[in-house]
Formats: sequence, structure tokens, C-alpha cells
Amino acid sequence: MRFFLWILSLCGVLGVGLLMPGAPVNAHHASEPFYDATKSVEAVGVVTRFVFRNPHSFLYVDTASVDGKTTSWEIEMGAAVSMSRRGWTPETILAGDQIRVVGAPSKAPGTFGMCCAELTRPNGSPITP
Amino acid sequence: MSQTDSGIGSGGLVGIALAAMVVVLVATPEMAIAQSGTERADSQIPDLVGVWDGGGRARPVNGPNMPWTPENFPVLNERALAYQAVFDEALAPKYDCVPSASPALQYDPYFMEVVQWPDRVMFRYEKDDQLRTVWLDGRTATPLDYTIQGFSVGRYEEGALLVETTHFVFDITGFDDYNGIPSSQLKKVSERYWREGEELRMTLTLEDPMFLRQPASYTTRWLPAPEGYKLQGYACDPDLARRAIKFMIPKYR
Repeated sequence: MRFFLWILSLCGVLGVGLLMPGAPVNAHHASEPFYDATKSVEAVGVVTRFVFRNPHSFLYVDTASVDGKTTSWEIEMGAAVSMSRRGWTPETILAGDQIRVVGAPSKAPGTFGMCCAELTRPNGSPITP
Repeated sequence: MSQTDSGIGSGGLVGIALAAMVVVLVATPEMAIAQSGTERADSQIPDLVGVWDGGGRARPVNGPNMPWTPENFPVLNERALAYQAVFDEALAPKYDCVPSASPALQYDPYFMEVVQWPDRVMFRYEKDDQLRTVWLDGRTATPLDYTIQGFSVGRYEEGALLVETTHFVFDITGFDDYNGIPSSQLKKVSERYWREGEELRMTLTLEDPMFLRQPASYTTRWLPAPEGYKLQGYACDPDLARRAIKFMIPKYR
């Protein structure tokens, strides 16, 4: 049952991610030159830093592959000034948190950027302030 | 009528004078504009004072087609089209924390605060910590007044504030944040602000014969900010502003 719920939540997250348009990351710049909104990638790992600033906050997540290789993802988020009005703080996400991130991947080959992402905790609950 | 009949003796007159001095000394900007309004006719001066929400609650968020839609997008001349063709997004000054300017600043989805004084109106924008002063006292620009936000003069007319801004410096992305269109020292931005109930409304008209074939305009609105909201500092972080550049496929190698 628990596994079924996990799959259900993953489908929901992926569905939202795939339906998300190439919206600007909080209106400082368009996401289109940087990220491919027609694709969706998933990163499951550990938060190493959450930098809550303007014009864009960034979330840094390390993931490990089966062969032990670490990939460091940089997830672009909104402006701190706007996010704070919705209740976000620098402590909403902390280094060491386990997290799943699904969003549009960066366009440049060999980079591990992501934007317009949905963030969830291991129990499938969305990360909200 | 004698002084006695009116009930005001010499001591009373001194008291009134002192009271008047106290009123002048403690007058707030809002009172000042009200006093000024008596001279200019109160009905001419809209109450624009307050913190205003220009975010997604008030209007569609800006983007390549907002607020410049296919219907009101300006007609570009050959010079603008050539600039647009060679423009590289990575070179946009905003990635070095250079602030947004008119006509984009007004439509950025952030809050702004308006303060009305007898001789000026001040627009403070949460986005990029920008402050624009609109002079009402008849002063004119000097060659030293070229800035990224230009030089603004204004007047009240039929319940609206009319603002004209010139003296902009050349700006490689001076049109908006999305379309790679520059603006020149010939840019002129005219704004008309008025109240409709609780809303603040504005029509902005842009002229720039260096790049546009004809003027273009958009109309938008702000809603009152939540009670007690104070503008936050923006403090653009240059490292984060430029961080996503590496995610682009470069136009020039």
C-alpha cells in the first residue's frame, strides 16, 4: 500500500512537471534560453545548500549513482523577495534534507541545472513553507 | 464685527498663530499634498500614496508576450531589428545586477511604494531597489541628468498624475527583459496614473525614434498591498544573477 502511494505521488509530481509551461523563473529572465521545458528530469538526493537571495534563489542537491559517482544539481528558484511573501525562509530547506526534485533540465550539454521544479520530501509531501 | 463679538482676543490670535506653526511643523506628506491640493483644486489630485502589489494577484506576470502582446508590440525599425538579430541573452546587463528601467520596471511583478509631496512624487520599487523621483516644481533636466531611470517631471490633470521621463542612457535591453531590444537617449516614457476604487491604474506610452517606428503603449494596474506591508530590500547578488548563464547554449563561441 505504501509503495502504491509512493508510485502515485511520483506520477503526480511527474505529471505536474511535464505540464509545467516554460514560465519565467519569477520574471527576472525567461527560462527558455536556459532550460528545456519539453523535458523533465528527476534528482533524488541530499541538499547541500539552499541560497535564499535575489534575483534568484538556488538549491544545491547531490545525488549518487549506483557506481558511487556524485552529481551536483543546481536548481534555480524564485526571487527571495517574492518567495518570502509566500512564507519561504532560508530555513524552509536545510542542508542535509533528503529531497526529490523534478523539473526542466538545463540546455547546455554536461551541465546539471534545473528550473521550474517541484520539490518533495521522501514521504511524497510537497515542500512548502 | 469687533474682536469681542467674534470671541477672539489678541491672546487668541497668538494662540491661533502658534497652532498654525505646530500644524506646519508636524505636517505629514499626505497633509502636505492635501494643502497643496487646495491651491491646485483638490479634485485634480488623486491619492496615490501607499504600497502597491504589482504581482500575479494584480495582473499577468511579465514575459516575452506580456505586457507587449501581438496587439500592442511596437513596430521596430531596421536598426532595432539588426540589434535584435545579434543580441546575445548572456550579455544582458541584468545578469550583472544592472537594474530594470522604464518601461519594464513598472511591469515587473513586485511591489512599489508611492509617496506624494507638494513638489515631487516618489516611486520606490522593490525590484532592484530602484527609486524614481517625479518633479512637480517646474524644474527641467540638465545634461547631467542622464541616468538609467531618466529624468521625470509631472503634473496633475483631471484626477490623474501625468509623468514624462526623458534623459535615459543607452540601454542594450532598455525595452524589456525578454525581447533583446535596446533603447536610446531619445527614449521618452509617458505615464498616466489614476485611481479606480481601490486599484491604482497606469497607461504607459513609449517613444524611441532611434528604434521604434511609432509609439507603443500598455495599460496595467496594482492592488493595495496587505495592511502594514513594508518594501523589502532587494540586494541583488551578482553571483546568483549570473549563475544560470552556463546553462545556455552560447550564441557566440
